[in-house]
Amino acid sequence: MKLLIVEDQPKTGHYLRQGLTEAGFNTELVADGNSGQQLALSGDYALLILDVMLPGRSGWQILNAVRSAGLDTPVLFLTAKDAVEDRVHGLELGADDYLVKPFAFSELLARVRSLLRRGSAAPQETSLQLADLRLDLIRRRVERSGQRIDLTAKEFALLEMLLRRQGEVLPKSLIASQVWDMNFDSDTNVIEVAIRRLRLKIDDDFPNKLIHTVRGMGYVLEERPA
Amino acid sequence: MRRLSLSSRLALLFAACTAVVSLFAGVLFSRASEAHFIELDQQLLDGKLIGLRRALQDVQPAQREARLADELSRQADLALRITGSDGQRWYDSSTQIPTELPKQSGLSTISHDGADYRVLNAPLYPDKSDTPQLTLLLDITHHQHFLQRMQHLIWLTVGLSALATALLGAWAARSGLRPLRRMSAVARGISAQSLNARLPEAQMPPELAEMAHSFNAMLGRLDDSFQRLSAFSADIAHELRTPLSNLLTHTQVTLTRPRPLEDYREALHSNLEELQWMAQLVNDMLYLAKADHGLLMPKREALELADESDVLLEFFAPLAEDAGVTLSRQGHARIKGDRSMLRRALSNLLDNALRFTPVAGSVRLSIDDKPHAVQVSVENSGEEISAELLPRLFDRFYRADPARQEGSSEHAGLGLAITQSIVRAHGGQIHCESATGWTRFVIELPKGA
Repeated sequence: MKLLIVEDQPKTGHYLRQGLTEAGFNTELVADGNSGQQLALSGDYALLILDVMLPGRSGWQILNAVRSAGLDTPVLFLTAKDAVEDRVHGLELGADDYLVKPFAFSELLARVRSLLRRGSAAPQETSLQLADLRLDLIRRRVERSGQRIDLTAKEFALLEMLLRRQGEVLPKSLIASQVWDMNFDSDTNVIEVAIRRLRLKIDDDFPNKLIHTVRGMGYVLEERPA
Repeated sequence: MRRLSLSSRLALLFAACTAVVSLFAGVLFSRASEAHFIELDQQLLDGKLIGLRRALQDVQPAQREARLADELSRQADLALRITGSDGQRWYDSSTQIPTELPKQSGLSTISHDGADYRVLNAPLYPDKSDTPQLTLLLDITHHQHFLQRMQHLIWLTVGLSALATALLGAWAARSGLRPLRRMSAVARGISAQSLNARLPEAQMPPELAEMAHSFNAMLGRLDDSFQRLSAFSADIAHELRTPLSNLLTHTQVTLTRPRPLEDYREALHSNLEELQWMAQLVNDMLYLAKADHGLLMPKREALELADESDVLLEFFAPLAEDAGVTLSRQGHARIKGDRSMLRRALSNLLDNALRFTPVAGSVRLSIDDKPHAVQVSVENSGEEISAELLPRLFDRFYRADPARQEGSSEHAGLGLAITQSIVRAHGGQIHCESATGWTRFVIELPKGA
């Protein structure tokens, strides 16, 4: 899966490529609009990450060229300006998502994964599983080591999200947006409390913990060797 | 085009008034004198007419001419013409008499060869139909000269008095408008450094007192906003200083000598926390800046506030349960607004309320559907906030709890300011009220279109 990053700020570009490469993506970075457009039009990429302000050719122009060429490659915009017109302009041109600088890398990674997943239709699962934790989507039941665990509706939704995206670090903002539909920056610690309460039910009575906090980045559900 | 100054305008108005009044008086006087002269002339000519008729009727024809001359000699400025009933000129007492004279009977005035005459036409025998006509001419040139001189005098008076009142009026207006100049002098002296200057309202005339009051009130508001703005910049610097100095110190200390890998990881994690805090601060400030520039443009979706509130209460439920606080909602109302923004506004209020509610307390969200507005209030039990602090709660970086250190908490103190911006972007108002045992934030949103 190949990603193209077009970003003219060397430091930002470098760290984006490093981060995405280490997250398992095959990533290419160019620093100017013209070569960015050339590469984007080759159609070899699964996702384009475009800065708006670029030397040579703006991110908008690249997006325009890509869509005119009939390519529906998902496009994620990085903008420094959070102007409403910019947002509207981008969405009109057919951008799939945008992030306003400064953003957290974990947020970018989560969105990149969402965009890539959007293309491939997820198979209709009836249950999700990790180690001895099992979530039955049809009967809406959760078991761990065969032991039934009672969850509230939101706790169930939270666990479902963690299970579906197991191994991914999920930032708090993404969890708030996906589980509670709260689409704004908030400095509340509701998510911490919700995770703590979920842990109490899922992890506390069992020796191998599944929900982990990644300090400063978010939460991840995965099995870690003891 | 430059408008006339107030003093010149008043002076001109005064002058125009005086001119009109004196012109009116002058015209009236000159008309009255003219009428008086005509009356005098009529009386004189009537008297002469009787004498002349008698002279022509009673006396023997031979003596007529002598009687006529005698009669006319008594009045040097009088001339006579006798015309026959067939229009033939019979007699002229003087060669000066103009050939053409008015024919109508009664008194009229003519002008001939630089002289003015009052002319009286009358029949010699008033009771006969076929009778010669007598025409008396009275030279009134000196009357007319007098009247003309008087008219000149009137014009002169009009002009001079207008000029005099213009000058006096300009002087009076200037001294009358002195308080205005004082006002402008104060205004001239005001800059960002001297916004505390005020006009002396007590010394102002009543007409200007209200203006001075508004002017002072405007200065007060400017002063207040300016204070807040400068405090805001100072606060930003202050808020950023703590995390920046943590980052600098920690990074430098970490780099002074080789360390185990775990220490580097720890340093990066700690830096990450500071950086995230700063990123949140910058994002919040950008949001507020956008609101300040009127760029916060709420969508107008049809929303049921009860549903939105319930979603928020569900979101905050874990936090409330943890804190042992009961959360409840009552009332419902439909409104047009931006879902995401209103959720953010209310979430800040709920978060704030939960933070200041003691264990076993309660947070109540009430929606009140009024005729023209919807009122949403978030009330929590807990300590009273003193009245003088209430308006300051919405100031940026203001924290009711002075013990909390800047930079050390997750909350930068921008939440209520953001809530206020969102409410204002929706055309609404927010205020806070507090009394013993409870605090309530009240949002009023107009129903509008």
